[in-house]
Amino acid sequence: MKKKQIAITIGIMCFILTLGIVLQINTIKDAVKTVGQKTSDNGLRDEVLKWKEKYDNTYEQLEKAEKELEKERQASTSTDESSLEKQERLKELNTYLGLTDVTGPGIIITVQDNTSSKFVSAKDLVHDGDLRALVNEIKNVGAEAISINNQRIVQSTTISCAGAIVQINDESIGSPFIIKVIGDQTNLYYNLTRPGSYINRLEEDGIIVDVKKSDDITIEKYNGVLTNKYIENVG
Amino acid sequence: MIFIAILIGCVVGIIAGMYAPIIPYSLSGYLAISIVAALDSVFGGITSVLKGNFDLKIFVSGFFGNAILSILLTYLGEKLNVDIYLAAIVVFVGRMFTNLAIIRRYYIDKWTNKKQKIEEENK
Repeated sequence: MKKKQIAITIGIMCFILTLGIVLQINTIKDAVKTVGQKTSDNGLRDEVLKWKEKYDNTYEQLEKAEKELEKERQASTSTDESSLEKQERLKELNTYLGLTDVTGPGIIITVQDNTSSKFVSAKDLVHDGDLRALVNEIKNVGAEAISINNQRIVQSTTISCAGAIVQINDESIGSPFIIKVIGDQTNLYYNLTRPGSYINRLEEDGIIVDVKKSDDITIEKYNGVLTNKYIENVG
Repeated sequence: MIFIAILIGCVVGIIAGMYAPIIPYSLSGYLAISIVAALDSVFGGITSVLKGNFDLKIFVSGFFGNAILSILLTYLGEKLNVDIYLAAIVVFVGRMFTNLAIIRRYYIDKWTNKKQKIEEENK
């Protein structure tokens, strides 16, 4: 009787121990291997990664659905002239909104923090304000499409400061900033590099700026969602 | 009997663990420290069996008591922003190594004794 009791107790303990070990192995296998000092940090990181994965999956589904929709639209409008026209108009408007990948001639501006000196001051770094001013100037010169580190600048885009990095379209990006612009090449180039331009001023501050022309630039579409909650059309 | 119980416990534990849902990542730190504590008491138990002073009550209370205590200490450490679980790991793993050394010595002694006996018989 006593031996039986011991056996059962030890069996239960073995069960608990192996259950715990296997559970732990499964949990760690599932998580991305990141090492943090505190368990709460790891938890947060894990949460973020999981949400990102979910987002990516959903986005992929959305893209697939959009492609199917496009196909359907084409199939249904290929016979009707007026709907064909509407289709063209829709495409055009999407291009204006920045919802399509676009390509064309333009310039590529690379703006980079200057970390060559031993003491890096705020002047040597590219700030959100610099990017805002640059984008403003680029728009002023007549750019048709702009992206910074593959973040498309659309009507709802914000460029804000988030500590050591800059957030564009709520995505964190850091130096070097590669600004792709599609538009009139010569016009863009000479206006943006003229004495007194913002790029000129940045260079004087010590920031590393490189402007070069390119005949074939591809700018990716805006991969967020444009929504309106409050506005309504009048009439 | 005991070995069968151990085997059944381990197999059922592995199967149950494979099909159980995974626990939140933030709690896995606590589970890890309790596993280390439990393993420590298992090795302690084996050592006491070899020494001949095994007591089931001490073994069971050590198994669960150490696990729960280490979880509580880790939680307290988290609240106080002190990594108490590091100290727990050092103590438990240190003890595990001591116990392993005792187990190793016991079996090596047994083995060499056996060898000597055979050699003596051959002479």
